[in-house]
Amino acid sequence: MNRLGIEPVSEERITINVLDNPNGITVKFTGDIDMEDPSIILDPLFEKVHDGVLENNYKEVIADFRELNFLNSSGIKAVAKWIMKLSEVDDTQKYIIKIVHNKDITWQVTSLPTLTFLVPGAVQVE
Amino acid sequence: MSEKDIGKGYIELRFGPRWKYIACARSFIQNFLAISIVDQTKADKIAMAASELLENAVKYASGEDTHISVNVSPKTEKISVQVTNIATPESIKNLEKVYDKISRGNSLDAYVSQMKEAALRSDGKSQLGLARIRYETGGDLKMEIEKNVVKVSIDIG
Repeated sequence: MNRLGIEPVSEERITINVLDNPNGITVKFTGDIDMEDPSIILDPLFEKVHDGVLENNYKEVIADFRELNFLNSSGIKAVAKWIMKLSEVDDTQKYIIKIVHNKDITWQVTSLPTLTFLVPGAVQVE
Repeated sequence: MSEKDIGKGYIELRFGPRWKYIACARSFIQNFLAISIVDQTKADKIAMAASELLENAVKYASGEDTHISVNVSPKTEKISVQVTNIATPESIKNLEKVYDKISRGNSLDAYVSQMKEAALRSDGKSQLGLARIRYETGGDLKMEIEKNVVKVSIDIG
């Protein structure tokens, strides 16, 4: 179990694990997010991560998408919603979401960098 | 098939609008394109676009008949995808509104603006699919409405 006490999520064709890392927390996605309404699982998870990170004053979250084969636009909406939360956070509490992507998966190369335009300085894509 | 279409590779799928068929159709289209064209990046983009169009069609369909066709020109590797479905007047009105909005100006700006709007929605809809397709494929996105039939197509050169 990670320091934030967040349980893994496993639903349909997706598994999401929350793992500790030396600088904060890693959210690791494995499988496909292609269900009709992924916000049912993603919104509560991202809310727990966001609240836990603020509470513990972590400065970064790694969102590891390397093993995510597909993310539909409803899933992108949920990720965007998480990122947009950072626009409401006080400067002293701000953290960075570092997106780790797989250059061999086309949608990751075209989709994920667009998330950096949502909130200036909130997202880095590696 | 018209004379100008001779030599083209194509597939057509017709199914009752069930969400669980979409992943299957996406894989099928991806496999079809993998053996039809050399450019795998383009094949991936088309499979993503087809999947998003089918999601829209299944979400907003009012009848049983959802139809997708993928045409490939072997010489130029030009690909076109067309999804046809029956929708209610209300769904058609919403779709036209989204299409008008995301078709204007720079495709990245339209996509980011639509993402910001989607993040604030609480109705479970994202209305992101068409903006995503336009930006990520760089293709020519078109929508035609005839009575209650919606046809959305994307051409990628």
